[in-house]
Amino acid sequence: MIAVADLVKRYGGFTAVDGVSLDVQPGQIHGFLGPNGAGKTTTIRMIAGLLKPTSGRIAVNGHDLATAPEAAKASLGFIPDRPFIYEKLTAGEFLRFHGGLYGIEEAATGERIREMLDLFELARWRDELVESFSHGMKQRLVMAGAFLHRPRAVLVDEPMVGLDPRGARLIKDVFRKMADRGVAILMSTHTLEVAEEMCDLVSIILKGRIIASGTVDDLRRLAGAADEQLTPLFLRLTGGSGLQEIDEVL
Amino acid sequence: MTTLARVASPAFPYLLLPSLWSSRNRARRREQGDLTRALLFGAIALLVAGAIFWGAYWVTGQLADYAELGDYLIRLGLSWLFLTFLSFLAFSSIVTSLSTFFLSDDLRLLLAAPVASRRLFHARFARTVGHASWMVVVFITPILAGVGVARGAPPSFYLTGLLTIVPFVMIPVALGSMITLGLVNVFPARRARDILMLMGLVFATSIVLLLRFIQPERLLRVESMPEVTDFFATLQSPITPMLPSFWAGETLFASLQGGWDPVHASALWTTALAMVAVAASLFDRWHFAGFSKAQEARKARFVQWRLLDRTVALLPLSTVRRQLLVKDLKVFLRDVSQWSQLLLLLALVLVYLYNFRVLDLERIPSMSGFLKNVYAFLNLGMAGFVMATVAVRFVFPMVSAEGAAFWIIRSAPISLRDFLWSKFWTGLVPVLLLSECLTVAGNQLLGVDPFLQRVAAIAIVFMSFALVGLATGLGARYPRFAADNPSQVAGSYGGVAFMILAVLFVLVTIVLVGWPSSVYLLQQFRRTPLTAARQALMVGSFAVAALVSVATFWFGMRTGVQALEEMDRTPS
Repeated sequence: MIAVADLVKRYGGFTAVDGVSLDVQPGQIHGFLGPNGAGKTTTIRMIAGLLKPTSGRIAVNGHDLATAPEAAKASLGFIPDRPFIYEKLTAGEFLRFHGGLYGIEEAATGERIREMLDLFELARWRDELVESFSHGMKQRLVMAGAFLHRPRAVLVDEPMVGLDPRGARLIKDVFRKMADRGVAILMSTHTLEVAEEMCDLVSIILKGRIIASGTVDDLRRLAGAADEQLTPLFLRLTGGSGLQEIDEVL
Repeated sequence: MTTLARVASPAFPYLLLPSLWSSRNRARRREQGDLTRALLFGAIALLVAGAIFWGAYWVTGQLADYAELGDYLIRLGLSWLFLTFLSFLAFSSIVTSLSTFFLSDDLRLLLAAPVASRRLFHARFARTVGHASWMVVVFITPILAGVGVARGAPPSFYLTGLLTIVPFVMIPVALGSMITLGLVNVFPARRARDILMLMGLVFATSIVLLLRFIQPERLLRVESMPEVTDFFATLQSPITPMLPSFWAGETLFASLQGGWDPVHASALWTTALAMVAVAASLFDRWHFAGFSKAQEARKARFVQWRLLDRTVALLPLSTVRRQLLVKDLKVFLRDVSQWSQLLLLLALVLVYLYNFRVLDLERIPSMSGFLKNVYAFLNLGMAGFVMATVAVRFVFPMVSAEGAAFWIIRSAPISLRDFLWSKFWTGLVPVLLLSECLTVAGNQLLGVDPFLQRVAAIAIVFMSFALVGLATGLGARYPRFAADNPSQVAGSYGGVAFMILAVLFVLVTIVLVGWPSSVYLLQQFRRTPLTAARQALMVGSFAVAALVSVATFWFGMRTGVQALEEMDRTPS
């Protein structure tokens, strides 16, 4: 559903993403892990059509993002890490506008908007301006927008940032149910517990390159640590924990 | 313990370092087009400063011919110059204080740190002085230099200038900080900013209307000499000597004559220092309460504009365009900083039309017919410049207004061409209506020849398409997604580039439309028929004018769509 081949992004002499390839199948939640600055957000933003790749190919639902961007984006929902939305619109207006961008006729949007606001527990805020929302509420509103047009694939950049435990639980359930209905989800995160709990497959990116890919069990085998949790495994694969140095500093 | 002591000890200038370092880093950063931008803005700044210097120099030189009356007028002029800047500073310092003392993002960091309240006040006060007064300093410097050079003032005049301006700007800023402190403790900070902006614009609008409707041109008539003396008498109001502007004017005037006025200089400095001390103690007492209140989210009051939804639903537009239009209109109408600018525009339109109504061309009966038609072109040119100004303020920032939410458009399945066209139509309709009304109403009030009325009405349609297309396109080519408000976008490099191109376009159009029209009028005046060759040339000139409009429109939209499609980064 989301196919990425040899994706490269360079900023002058700095290579942020260096030959990344991914394939996210329908119904799969694919975790995209890596330390800060590894290239996760850059990759996600290229797939969302927000950044122009230096080279490589991206296809969503069989549509090439470079040659048929509108068809590719029509199948995609995008949830950025920071929920910037129009502050002077109400939640209901924002979703109506979002639906309009995806070509949903106004008559058909009303019921769907109500469903989404109920699902993301925002129904009572429908007629309030976005500027009065907390970060978590804005994040949930962006998610409501991303699922409004029933996308075939969803890109999520750091989904749990700013959410309370109840919100986080809700989002995990929504993502799992969407995946069960055949939606392909590519999710970047550095919350390893989230990846371990939710993802069918995990790719670890470091300095712009994918250094490991597979199920969590595959990664354990790769690192030669059969019973380890994902956190020590991740630290081992991405260059050590630095705990020794922390002790020395403290 | 020693580490903590070291952190807490630096004086208040330490708190200004982030601003200084940010400015230094901005100056060091080199990006494509920086040199062109620096040259363009540098040249414009030099030109403006040179013009102000020359104006001040010329006026002072002229007044020197009138001995004592000249001196009196310079003294009065300095006092009124400072009074003008004082009123500007009084307003801008309140708006700036709101931002620096209560709304800045870095305040959370500073208030959470072990920084003494007094140090924080001094740092923020210094920053407010800088932000609120830089424009005054930039304008006043060439004026004082012009006056000084024309009068051959001693070097001490320039030093006195510096020592006068510093306390002069401190006084209104201290007052503004105190007013802001009071306002924020009564209203929520963001609501207070909206109220202030609205008040400021209503104030500016009233001034514009008042200045026009008192008909200052009456003072130029010989029979109104008594009014001139009355006019000067009003300048000598009893309250004037109590104002810092008067003290600053007197101090500088004494210095201009090679003397020294310790009374007014002391009044300036002692008042400034006392006001800062009072503001600091009020800050200690009330700032935290106000800041805390500014953090509290209030349920916003706003208009739903359901009528707008229903009206737009009737338009024959695609779902995408309809939703883009509704979104743009609602965001505009709910943002006080945006729609309130319309008040000033409305005032200017009223003044514009009023000018045509009171125009007394019948005083020269033999020329009135000819003059009316010349004014018709003036009207067309003025409408063109009004269009350019409206376009740079309202149309040019439309793409930038998407701000950090532009990711929604970029990740949606709509073409950027459609997006830009939607912006174009949203901008075109009001600009076309406004300029068409101005031109038609102006020409009607003048009683212009019907042929010219038709030419002007058609020319306005072409010019609207061209200028709105150019503004939309260049707005997309040079967006400022991080700008705080549309005025910043309008004043950016792209905005200035648009204004230069727009003015050139208007001038070229006026020439191309004006020449054939004047030929027609002359033939009408002489009552001679037009030759076929003349007619062909006239049609050719009109056609070239239309082509210039189409080319400007096409260039603008094309460059805009290209820029959006090539845009490498999307803000979010």
